[in-house]
Amino acid sequence: MNLYLDAGILSALVVLLVCPFTSWLARANWVSRSPRAAVALWHSIGFSATLATIGAGLCVATERFHAGFVGGVGELGEGIVGGHPLQGLGLPDALGLTLAADVGVVLFSMVGVVVLRTVLARARHRRLLNLLATPSQSRTGTLTLDHPSPVAYCLPGIRPRIVISSGTMRLLDQAQLAAVIEHERGHAHERHGLVMLPMTSLTEPFRWIPYARLAPRAVAGLLEMAADDHAARRHAPSSLASALVALSTSAAPPRCAFALASLGVKVRVQRLIASDRTSKRAAIAAGLLGTIAVVAPLAVVLSS
Amino acid sequence: MAALGELERRVMDVLWGSMGTPLTGRQVADQLPDRAYTTVLTILDRLRRKNMVERTTEGKAHRFAALASRETYMAELMVEALGSAQDRQAVLVRFAEAVSPEEAVVLRQALEDLPEDSGSKKP
Repeated sequence: MNLYLDAGILSALVVLLVCPFTSWLARANWVSRSPRAAVALWHSIGFSATLATIGAGLCVATERFHAGFVGGVGELGEGIVGGHPLQGLGLPDALGLTLAADVGVVLFSMVGVVVLRTVLARARHRRLLNLLATPSQSRTGTLTLDHPSPVAYCLPGIRPRIVISSGTMRLLDQAQLAAVIEHERGHAHERHGLVMLPMTSLTEPFRWIPYARLAPRAVAGLLEMAADDHAARRHAPSSLASALVALSTSAAPPRCAFALASLGVKVRVQRLIASDRTSKRAAIAAGLLGTIAVVAPLAVVLSS
Repeated sequence: MAALGELERRVMDVLWGSMGTPLTGRQVADQLPDRAYTTVLTILDRLRRKNMVERTTEGKAHRFAALASRETYMAELMVEALGSAQDRQAVLVRFAEAVSPEEAVVLRQALEDLPEDSGSKKP
C-alpha cells in the first residue's frame, strides 16, 4: 500500500495548492512588496501541482511492481519500451496511468495551442505597427502611433516594441512620459510576455479550479508592479504614479472591465507613493514558499 | 531591415492616399521619386504576400490597392491596446487600466499631498 499512500498524499498536496493556498495567496498583500518573487511563487504552485498530479497517477500505476516509485517507473518504462505496456495492468493501474498521461498531454497541448495563437497574434500586431507607427525621433527604441487615445504598451517578442500614442504624449509632461516609457522598457527587459505565457494557457475549461481562475490576473498585476519598480529605480515614483492616474482616467476602456481593473491601478499608485514599496523579507518568504512547493512532491515520491 | 519597413509604410501611405482608386506600380513609384521603380514593385509584391495589398489586372496593367483602410488597421491596433479583447495579456503588456472618477480624485489628492522631493531616486 506504500505507493497508494504516496498517491493520497500527492493528491492532498494538489488540492491544498490549487484551492486554499491559492486563495490565500491571491488575497495576500505582502506579495506586492516583492512582485518578481511573487510571480515565481505563482509559477511554482502551478508547476508543483502538475508534477504532483502526474506523480500521483504514476504511483497508482506502479504499485503492482512493489519496487518503490523509481523502480516502479523504471519497470513501467521497460514494459513500454519492450512493447508490452499493458501486461499485468489492473483497473487501478490503468486509471493511474490514464491520469498521469492525460494531465501531461492536455497541459502540453493547451500550452502549445496558446503559444501558437499568441505568436500569430503578436506577429499580426507587429506587422500592422510596421505600417502605421513611426519610430520616434527623440526617444530611441519607441514607436509613435498617431492616435488621440492615450495608450502606452509593450508588444512582447524577440525584439519587443514599445508603443506610445500621440494622445499619451499630449496628456503627459516630459517627466511622466519618461517614467511611462521606462515602465514599458521594464516589461520588455524582463521578458514579461514570456512570463505571462503559461498563465494565458489556463483558459476557460480550467476555470473551475481556483488556481486557473486567480493566477492569470494575479500574475498580470504583479508584472505591472515589477515594471513599476523598474521605472521607479530610474525616475521619480511620483511621476509614474501621476502618469498612471492621468492615463487610467482618460483611456475610457469598456465598462465591463471596470471594477476589477480599477483595483490594480489604485493599489499600484498607493504602492508607488509608499515608502516601503519593496521588501527583501517578502522576496525571501515568497522564494522559500516556492521552493517548498516544488520540493514537496519530489520528496514524497523519492522517499519511497 | 528598418529601411525596408519604412519603405513599406511609405508605399501603403501612397495607396491609402489614393482614396480607394487602384494605382499602377508606375503611379506609386512616381510618388516616391527617391526610389527606383523596380524597388517599389518589389515592395508592392511583399505587401501582397503579407495580405495588405491586392492586385487587379486590367489588360496588361497591374493595379494595386490597399486591402483595408488605414483606419481599419488603426482600430484593430487600438482594440488590442485598449484591452477590449478578452485575452489581451496574450498579446500586449499594457500600462494602465481604468479607475473610476471617484477613485481618481482620491488618488490625485494623495499625490498632491506628497512632499515635493519624496521618492525621487535619480541614479
